[in-house]
Amino acid sequence: MSTSARSQARVEFCWAIRRFAVVCALATMGFGGVQAASRAQSWRIDEAQTWIGFKIDAVGFPTTHGHFAHYKGQILIDFDRPAKSYTNFTVDAASVDVGSPSFNNFVKSTALLDVERFPAMSFVSTQVEKLDSHTARVNGNLTMLGVSRPITLTVDVETDPSAKGRLIAFVAKGTIARSEFGMKFGIPLIDDALEIIVKTRAQSDE
Amino acid sequence: MNESIAAWPLSLRLAHWLSAVLVLAALGLGAYMVLLVANPAQRFELTQTHKTIGIAILALTVARLCCRNLMRAPKPEHAERLILFAAKASHIALYLLLLLMPLSGWLMATTTPIRVPTLLFGLLELPYPLAPNLATYRLAHTAHVWLAILLASFIALHVAAAMVHALIWRDRTLTRMWRVPVRNAPSPTNRNPHVAQARYSGQPPVI
Repeated sequence: MSTSARSQARVEFCWAIRRFAVVCALATMGFGGVQAASRAQSWRIDEAQTWIGFKIDAVGFPTTHGHFAHYKGQILIDFDRPAKSYTNFTVDAASVDVGSPSFNNFVKSTALLDVERFPAMSFVSTQVEKLDSHTARVNGNLTMLGVSRPITLTVDVETDPSAKGRLIAFVAKGTIARSEFGMKFGIPLIDDALEIIVKTRAQSDE
Repeated sequence: MNESIAAWPLSLRLAHWLSAVLVLAALGLGAYMVLLVANPAQRFELTQTHKTIGIAILALTVARLCCRNLMRAPKPEHAERLILFAAKASHIALYLLLLLMPLSGWLMATTTPIRVPTLLFGLLELPYPLAPNLATYRLAHTAHVWLAILLASFIALHVAAAMVHALIWRDRTLTRMWRVPVRNAPSPTNRNPHVAQARYSGQPPVI
């Protein structure tokens, strides 16, 4: 191969890279455009009315209720095409509160949440299905202790008529088998089944 | 060796009453937290306190038994053979229970699948020498409950016996665990022929 042929090949390779980058950029823009066209409204989560909690039973110990004080969340709702709705929540594992400092420390320890290794837990919806006028089923992936597994939440949806549809309240519930996420501590004295309860209220500015 | 002393040494008297307070606290707290506390966080905190008190009782009882075997004890006030035997047997039972209660609790904390670190006085971590094992835990738990009932019964017997000594036989059994009786002072026990017999029979002290 002559020197000129080699430089020609290099130039063509560079063009190929550029074309690919442009295609990627266009695809990304197109994707964004599709999302915008789906009329999925973004709702502002009212932090004072939000509770991201859980409930777990044990033998010889009272039912433990806990919640996470720090989280980030996003709710997008498309009323015309509910399947286009989307939600995600990420909680700060170290913000767990089960009622007392030493109990919190124990729940944060390696036995349970192992918050130093796994500081965040998240839920990302993959499918939203409207069941009836005030119930929806949300499938999604829960990531806990670094393990992602599909879970299903049943969501009660309540709109506030006085706020002209701009206020909406959700109560999402679902039960997971914590052992599937590698949290095997205390089984069978502490139940494998752990109920997730998320209560939230959201507002739309539109 | 058999030379009589008037009262229990101060260290043993202090140990007795400290032990009384700690044991009643541990028994009361144990029953209260298991039967009446429905708040998980409160139950968790109380369990930690219960474990600290239990281990304190274990340490105190070991120290107490060492002192008890090194120090001279006053002679029993009541010398009837059957009474002496009952007193000795119930005291041995009490000491055994004071050891077995915290040991069975420690076994529970060690073998439970819900292994929670025990921070003694919130500072020192109690070692867990055995691996978690559900069957052993259940056994230790059953033992802990029954030993608690047995201990409560023996405490009731112990208190009843002290009352009998103080109020019916009117001897110095309770007084000398409370304060140093005045030597050679006229004692109400002199009225009791059993006591008079015990005082001069030169019998070795019971436990």
